[in-house]
Amino acid sequence: MEARRDVFQAIADPTRRAIIGLVVKKPLTLNAVAEKFDMSRQAVSLHVKILTECGLIVIKRQGRERYCETKLDSLNEVSKWIEQYKQHWEDRLDSMEKYLYKVKRAQNNAKRKR
Amino acid sequence: MQSAKDNMADRELIFSRLLDAPVTLVWKIWTNQKHIALWWGPDGFTNTIIKMDVKPGGEWHLIMHGPNGKDYEIKSVFREIVKHKKIVYEQLNHFKYIATIQFESRDDKTHLHWQMLFESRESLAQAAKSYGVIDGFKQNAERLIDYLSQQKQ
Repeated sequence: MEARRDVFQAIADPTRRAIIGLVVKKPLTLNAVAEKFDMSRQAVSLHVKILTECGLIVIKRQGRERYCETKLDSLNEVSKWIEQYKQHWEDRLDSMEKYLYKVKRAQNNAKRKR
Repeated sequence: MQSAKDNMADRELIFSRLLDAPVTLVWKIWTNQKHIALWWGPDGFTNTIIKMDVKPGGEWHLIMHGPNGKDYEIKSVFREIVKHKKIVYEQLNHFKYIATIQFESRDDKTHLHWQMLFESRESLAQAAKSYGVIDGFKQNAERLIDYLSQQKQ
């Protein structure tokens, strides 16, 4: 089975969340990132690799150093996505409102007939 | 306490409506299972209410039938019920959230305030993703969580 590589996998792990939290403030070299964690450089590298595969981080070469940077261009997309979900609930409230007025009209009609 | 409140802003959704109907009627279509089955859920869905025990601790169990023929079983529990004023329920499966719906009578109208509070920004995003899937929105491997922008502030 192919490993799932999406944002949810990316942030499922506390170390990866911490890595994102670090490099979002400013780009850091792999070594600088690794120093912040109480684990082997290889272990940190693996997390960074997963984050790049998930599209959250890009590695940019500057001279001899490789810098980890967050990919900020995707951010707007996320807001849109949550906006879409919000709209989904607005639709649900619309549905409630429509139904409410239908019941109200039916009640009023019944009263008038009496 | 202030920080706890700030912390809520990025994991809640808030809706409000002024409804042209008395609170007794709004309450009725919300708490009577015969009624709620007819309006709950996204467009094109129908509902079967298995159980709806509107009291604190009472179960609310329903099946939403999607337009694509798929069923979604939803289990919630009512946490707080104040007649004609407040309903608090917690959805227990798929993704967790606590909804607080407040009813405020204004003459013959009703002001509805509806808050959905998720455990975290991630779980709100998860929920958004699940609905995206249900509604058949475009799947996108690049879909991201607002986690980054949250960290930036």
